[in-house]
Amino acid sequence: MNTTPALSLRNIHKSFGGIVAVEDLSLDVRRGEIVALVGDNGAGKSTVVKIIAGMHQPSSGEIRLAGEPVHFTDASQSQAKGVQVVYQDLALAESQPVYMNLFLAREKTKGWFGKLDRAGMIAETEELMRELNVRIPSAKSTIHKLSGGQRQAVAIARATHWATNLVLMDEPTAALGVTETCKVEDIITGLKARSLAILIVSHSLDQVFRLSDHICVLRRGKQIGVRQTKQTDKNEIVSMITGLKASSR
Amino acid sequence: MSVRSTFRRIPVVGQLEPSTYVVYVGFLLIFAAFAVLLRDQGFLTVSNLLNIVQETTPVTVMAIGMVFVLSAGEIDLSIGSVVAIAALLAAVLMRAHNWTLGVAAGLGAGALVGLINGALVAYARLPSFLVTLATMGLLAGVARWMTNLQSVPVIDTTFTSLFGSGSLFGIPSLVIWTALAGSLGHYVYRETRFGARVLATGDNPHAARAAGIKVDRLRLKVLILGSTCAALAGLLYLGRIQGARYTLGETDLLTVIAAAVVGGTRLDGGTGTVLGGLIGSLLMGMLNNGLILMGLAVSEQMIVRGFIILVAIALTLREPHRAP
Amino acid sequence: MLSKHCFLTAALGGIVVLGNSSLAAAQTVGPNGEAATPSSALTLTDAEVAKLKEGKYSAALVWHTSSDFISAVTAGAIDEFDRAGIKVVATTDAGFDSARQLSDVETVMAKSPSVILALPLDPIGSAKAFQAAKEKGVQLVFLSNVPAGYKQGADYGSIVSDDLFQMGKQAADALAKSLLYKGNVAWIFHDAQYYVTNQRDNAFRKTIENDYKNMSIVARQGITDPARAEDVAHALLTKNPDLDGIYVTWAEPAEGVLAALRSAGNTKVKIVTLDLSEPIALDMARGGYVTAIVADKAFELGRAMAVAAGYGLLGKKAPAFAVAPALTITRENLGEGYRESLNREPPQSVLDALQANQPPSRGGH
Repeated sequence: MNTTPALSLRNIHKSFGGIVAVEDLSLDVRRGEIVALVGDNGAGKSTVVKIIAGMHQPSSGEIRLAGEPVHFTDASQSQAKGVQVVYQDLALAESQPVYMNLFLAREKTKGWFGKLDRAGMIAETEELMRELNVRIPSAKSTIHKLSGGQRQAVAIARATHWATNLVLMDEPTAALGVTETCKVEDIITGLKARSLAILIVSHSLDQVFRLSDHICVLRRGKQIGVRQTKQTDKNEIVSMITGLKASSR
Repeated sequence: MSVRSTFRRIPVVGQLEPSTYVVYVGFLLIFAAFAVLLRDQGFLTVSNLLNIVQETTPVTVMAIGMVFVLSAGEIDLSIGSVVAIAALLAAVLMRAHNWTLGVAAGLGAGALVGLINGALVAYARLPSFLVTLATMGLLAGVARWMTNLQSVPVIDTTFTSLFGSGSLFGIPSLVIWTALAGSLGHYVYRETRFGARVLATGDNPHAARAAGIKVDRLRLKVLILGSTCAALAGLLYLGRIQGARYTLGETDLLTVIAAAVVGGTRLDGGTGTVLGGLIGSLLMGMLNNGLILMGLAVSEQMIVRGFIILVAIALTLREPHRAP
Repeated sequence: MLSKHCFLTAALGGIVVLGNSSLAAAQTVGPNGEAATPSSALTLTDAEVAKLKEGKYSAALVWHTSSDFISAVTAGAIDEFDRAGIKVVATTDAGFDSARQLSDVETVMAKSPSVILALPLDPIGSAKAFQAAKEKGVQLVFLSNVPAGYKQGADYGSIVSDDLFQMGKQAADALAKSLLYKGNVAWIFHDAQYYVTNQRDNAFRKTIENDYKNMSIVARQGITDPARAEDVAHALLTKNPDLDGIYVTWAEPAEGVLAALRSAGNTKVKIVTLDLSEPIALDMARGGYVTAIVADKAFELGRAMAVAAGYGLLGKKAPAFAVAPALTITRENLGEGYRESLNREPPQSVLDALQANQPPSRGGH
């Protein structure tokens, strides 16, 4: 297995005018691993996600993807480099079927006239759903007929299908009930086998401890520390988040 | 056990969204009603039925363009004025030049208007409703100014036979135009990437943008398409009545939108059907025709027509769009 | 020598005299310069009616809009058609849309009418519109307008209109009378090429200029959109605070002018306009700004059209351009005016206003 991290952040610093949103962040995410980014509200988590996705540029610091330094000026560039983001609002087209959402902006065509290859897209979608163990009625189901958990699964499946490096997920189960959260977490765990690097932002420490290999804690823009999940516990993480009983790196 | 859940159990048909087939059922019902009520009053004759198609062709062409515009989440209120301008421009040019120049100029004028509307919507980020409301008024003034309210006749027989008054192998040219517009429009809408992206943009512009679709460029394209369809409609009117007047197309806007909406295209974008719009337009034309043949007074015609359209729209738009 | 001289003078004099008496009708000309014939010349004898009844003919009415006026024309036409056993099988309203008018003609042709009465919207657009009917030999009678290139006899039977010159002239006479033959007048005319309004408006202007030397037109304003009339009138009143009277080309913009006068608080100005409308008649009934309305006899227009159609069916030549007389309506003959022009009683609101605003009785105070 390649030891170069899929994503490597070095000394990332981001300020908006006079306000420092992220101060000196360094983090590695390796293939086949799940890293969780945790912190209280306003800790800077979304800013970090947007920087990785290419929507913001770091004020200073370096980003490397698979070892290669990158400078993104907009979101499409990060996609081109194999980064996919699953946003909190999922970014799905409600009236379209699952397979059209999967292939959104990447529709398959066949023949001279650029005719949509619906059959091909449907087949590929169904295979992907099977691999990821996503239970939906059909690849042709319309999004607005699916439950919250099914939609999340579709969004994750889409990101997975197109990502070659890294999948970023922002609060993947925030809006879901217990059963659905379970199902989605299974899917996320299953992604490790596809040797993608996965970065999850989550406020549920239980989930973080269930899923992640490493936990990175932010507080008010500062990186407090990175822990191996197996070697830490909730209390430590909580104290890092809240700042009571400060601990050194 | 509600009516709707019982209905869903019917194989195949039960799985269809009502909005997609209301217009077809409505069309057949109204057709059947007129066929019976007017059986010896000239409704079912080939010439009358062909008349209906020919009368509705310009509106059909505009409705197909409007389906694209609405599906992308926009609207174009200026199409009526574009009809007049395209027709007048073409007619004036045809006085001294070949008809092909007139056609090119007419279509070009439509595309230009679409470009202006589209640039304001896509890049200045103004709402299309307001932009096209303003251009509608502006262009109406331009249409009046162009020939100082004078009508312009057209005598070029090649043009008039191609664009409205002639026929090919016995099929009136307007019928061919309807078929062409319908099949081409349907293909682009359903079978091309462009069509898929139009729908995605209207459905969830944020998602479309996040996925990498150039949403601004798409909105521009769709408004150019809508306006060019209106210009084509102007040329078809010109060929049909063989004269251009500043009032052409003035009253068509609401019919076009009604045809699109009754056909199953939502006003807020994201879903639609080109074929539904075509049938919707034919349905309106058939209604007008049948009500006149029934000998109703004008006020009665208007009331019955309005009522039927109201029912059709109520049925079409009952399905919830986004999840509860 | 002398007798010849006398004879010539007498002849000339006779021509002048004869000319003057029919000057009124003669001054109105049709869209292609046709001389006018009074509509009263159009009648069907009992024998002709009987013959028409045998034919069991049918008619279609292809109108450009719906209005009180059109309803009255329709009523007049149906009245005459009923006499002759001609059944009206279809009525349409093109909503001022030429393309729609073409569709309307095609649609009604499905019922194979023998006669079509219509108001063609615009000479150029309507040429194609009525072609199908013309080619099938349907008897066409047109109201006010005629499609370009159509020939009387071959293509259509007759054009019927109101006596356009008289309409304008009588408006001038009525305004002059109410202003006691002196004062400053504004002339709001229809700013478009339409021989109907053009002739009426110009008749008003010429009559004031030629016949009433103590009156002058101090302001001229053209309008095309009745909805803008109020704004136009405001501007006019501001620029000409000393107006005594205003002529407005027809009733709809006159309503806007009324609104402008009311909001300006002007109580002096008198208005004259053409065609009956309820708000205008109401103002006149209340003794407001409107001093006279000159209306055409819509019912008579319909009757004349129907008779002209009958002539066509009988193979008889109809006059090229028939005109119905104009009617000056003042407060005194408002009721009669409605009956003669539109073939109906005045609206209730107008009747109530007439009752409530009885002028002070003579003989007394």
